[in-house]
Amino acid sequence: MSRRVSAAGCFLRGVALSLSKPYLAVSVWLIQLLLACVLILPVSNALHALLDHSSTGSRMVADPDFGWWETVRRVHPDLLGVLPTAVQDATGVEGVKPGSLAGLQGIGATAISLAFLGIVLHAFALGGIFGALREPHSSLVVFGREGMRRFPAFLAFTLAALAAALAAYHWIYLVTGDAWRDRIEDLDTEGQAMALTAARVGVLLLALAAIKLIADSVRAIWVARPDLPAVSRLFAGVAAAFSRPARLLGVLVLYVFSGAVLYFLWIFLDPSAGGEARFALVPLILAQQVFVFLRSLLKVGYYAGVSEALTRVPSPEYSYVPAAGVAPPPSVSRAPDEAAVDGPSGTI
Amino acid sequence: MPRAKGRSSLLALARNALPAFAGILLTSSLGGAPLTKPIASYQISCRLDAEKKIVEGTELLTWTNTTRNPATSLQFHLYLNAFRNTLSTFWRESGGIHRRDRLPESWGSIEVTRMTLADGSDLLPALAWISPDDGNPHDRTVAEVQLSRPVAPGETISVSIDFRSRLPRVAARTGWKGDFFLVAQWFPKIGVLEERGWNCHQFHSVSEFFADFGDYDVSIDVPARYRGKVGATGVRVEERNLPGERVLYRFRQESVHDFAWTADPDYLVVDDVFREPGIADVQIHLLLQPEHRAQEARYLTSAKAALSGYGRVLGPYPYPTLTIVDPPWGGRGAGGMEYPTFITGGTHRMSPVKENSPEDVTIHEFGHQYFYGLLASNEFEEPWLDEGFNEYMEDRVVGAVYGSDNPILTVFGWRFPIGIPIRRPLDVNRRYFKVAGEDVLAAPSWKFRSAASYGGQVYSKTALALATLERLIGTPAMNRALRLYADRWRFRHPKTADFIAAVNEVTGQNWRWFFDRTFFASGAVDYAVESATSERATPPKGLFEQEGRLVEKNPPDLANPKGWDSVVTVVRKGEVALPVEIALKFDGGHTYRSRWDGEARWRRFRVERGPKLIEATVDPAEKILLDVDRTNNGRLVTPDPRAASRWTSRAVFWMQNLVDFLTVAW
Repeated sequence: MSRRVSAAGCFLRGVALSLSKPYLAVSVWLIQLLLACVLILPVSNALHALLDHSSTGSRMVADPDFGWWETVRRVHPDLLGVLPTAVQDATGVEGVKPGSLAGLQGIGATAISLAFLGIVLHAFALGGIFGALREPHSSLVVFGREGMRRFPAFLAFTLAALAAALAAYHWIYLVTGDAWRDRIEDLDTEGQAMALTAARVGVLLLALAAIKLIADSVRAIWVARPDLPAVSRLFAGVAAAFSRPARLLGVLVLYVFSGAVLYFLWIFLDPSAGGEARFALVPLILAQQVFVFLRSLLKVGYYAGVSEALTRVPSPEYSYVPAAGVAPPPSVSRAPDEAAVDGPSGTI
Repeated sequence: MPRAKGRSSLLALARNALPAFAGILLTSSLGGAPLTKPIASYQISCRLDAEKKIVEGTELLTWTNTTRNPATSLQFHLYLNAFRNTLSTFWRESGGIHRRDRLPESWGSIEVTRMTLADGSDLLPALAWISPDDGNPHDRTVAEVQLSRPVAPGETISVSIDFRSRLPRVAARTGWKGDFFLVAQWFPKIGVLEERGWNCHQFHSVSEFFADFGDYDVSIDVPARYRGKVGATGVRVEERNLPGERVLYRFRQESVHDFAWTADPDYLVVDDVFREPGIADVQIHLLLQPEHRAQEARYLTSAKAALSGYGRVLGPYPYPTLTIVDPPWGGRGAGGMEYPTFITGGTHRMSPVKENSPEDVTIHEFGHQYFYGLLASNEFEEPWLDEGFNEYMEDRVVGAVYGSDNPILTVFGWRFPIGIPIRRPLDVNRRYFKVAGEDVLAAPSWKFRSAASYGGQVYSKTALALATLERLIGTPAMNRALRLYADRWRFRHPKTADFIAAVNEVTGQNWRWFFDRTFFASGAVDYAVESATSERATPPKGLFEQEGRLVEKNPPDLANPKGWDSVVTVVRKGEVALPVEIALKFDGGHTYRSRWDGEARWRRFRVERGPKLIEATVDPAEKILLDVDRTNNGRLVTPDPRAASRWTSRAVFWMQNLVDFLTVAW
């Protein structure tokens, strides 16, 4: 008897898988931490030079001081450059122009460079995650091996997805923003203008979600179907995304929602506020890293959820054969619409 | 509504909490007699063609030569011609951008089709364009007519003028958007004749206006769909139906120097009354956009706070009405402007309370009823007297009633306050620090290097300089000086020297040096604690006289010194010197304060065998608000790494999240 697999079921199974293989989340967390650590010295030195001897420092322990912040931006443009403005423009009605990157300096420019490096390292990590998820007895070694093995292809997918996302931002958000810049003032009310912006944002988010889900489907199928030629795997991945759009989108929405809940809790509880009395430095750093680790667990859980949504049986590429009774019979756990890609015994 | 109740409580609190306004008795200048003798009075009848965006009118100007010299010509402002084409001085100076908004390519103009004297003599053939400020031959914003017979001193003449005004898409304080009209600078307005000749400037990008007081009687004929939705300078005295589905409104106001009006069939009209003991009631007419209905109480409460706050320092508002216009979406160019008894505000559909919008702009524009309206300084030549003085007073009123603002983060058009207080007056005027040194504050409005410099100097530097002056002479003395200035120059054209004279008179000291260094100089103020050390006192070494001989042995009283030797060096990094205080905070809570005239480039303070120095601060009470860098004003002897460490951890944490966000996406 077949049973339809829900998006929530896939996501929850993905999170359970993530919890069962915590070294995957640890690996992701470590990559992010090491990338961020590149900034520790320049940020720390700049802040200590500016604050340690300053009377303003005591006011800055818990909360930022507007005057100090504005003065530092003005007196030390070398620290952040136009990064704060670019970040604000990115969420502005007209959007951020690519030329804004030219104005970045110092720590701001380094942060953006590190983010690009992070995207490249992420391609490696995704190969490791998808590969290790399909190994019942995987390890950090498997993660590394699978990551390196998939790296060229996954880097290509990542760069293609990034390019598609930037193109979507340009064509859907920037171009429409330019086109409406003058006409938006002709609308009758600000409410209409906000609705128009919301529509632009909504379409952009849908496009970005589609790009991401296609990229993740291709990755999942790339690992799940090593028996197919590369081009076939690519198209099978794209086809898989289009064959289960609702379920995949559901997994993505649950992932975004759970992440948003975490951020909401962080901001609501605000453990870094209140000065030294409420949270000393070491507990604060620990809390921050626990938060990032939870995000990493969710991230791995999302990818496992995507993999679950597309295929749930181990790839025959591996030596592992599930023991009788451990792996559920395909007819029970597979959704009716999974036949095209699932089941190595049927199609491979 | 709870919010309105909350704001009313704020208002009541402010009345009690405004020590700055204490002790100033309110007296009414309303008594039925004319507020001032008119110089330039207008009777205008006009008709709005709402479809063609054209106002056609006839005006009868009654003008008196109040100088000691005969007038051989008349000069007129024809300011709608600023929008005539891109060759006008306004367009050239603005580069097509005004208040960060791109100007629409929608053209405006004003044509004079008839100009005659009472004896019937035709002045139109003698009308010529002049450009007294920049010589721009294409500018058509000032016209001059030569008279065949001079107007003698004290003589009054009448000039009858027909005109046709084409309104632009709303920009730079005038125009239309859909059915909304803000009609300003729309009729031929005579310049100001001074002893040295006509003072009649062109329309510039950043400057405002200057005119003589007079009585206005204006009839406005509009389509019937605007019934009840017309607001204007002064009191509405007549509403009459006209043939052809039209309606006529007539407004009158004495003792003002301009007239503006508005019409929009979408307006929600809200009437309220400002009442305070000892002064006449003021009728408030709020013309509100329907999508801003929720902000009605915010507009009204802030208007009343302004009437109360300004009135207590500068004397009661003398007019019976105040009209507040809330411009529609797309009509931002009409917002944030002042005309006599008539102001335009501005807000957003969803404006967080801590953004203080529309409160800030309402209070600011109302403040111009004093600094521009009653104290009709020359906004071209001394723009700080209206904008800067008003910014200073706005900071006081808003600060007392609403406290600090919050910065606003705009995300895809939604506005969210960030929980960092922006203090008044220091933080809200920080734009001055970005342009410190770019210009001398005391310059004509059109001669600033940029619009940013104009705003930073004229608005913010003036506000900070006056707030600094207040902290140097004390709030009561500042209030008395402001009141003396306001009373003495009400309905006249004061200059900077007149305010300095008021300050000197009240304080009994000559403060000219302060204005020379702040208003009439471009240099920056920046004091800093360069170093602060405190070391345990050690016995001296060397040869010392003991019993008439030099021996290598410390005298008994110096052998075992106790306490700490502390040295603090304070430097003047800026060009401008102002007197400052220095506070040395010692272990055990002792604080030593000293004053320094600030003239030298540096001064060193040495304390021997005292308690351990903890911190040295220059200007600890934050009196010198013009200091461009306050982060160097205080220095700890022992570094405290807590803040930097915590912010480093925050930076790394959010960098991790940024990497997470960017990598999870692709």
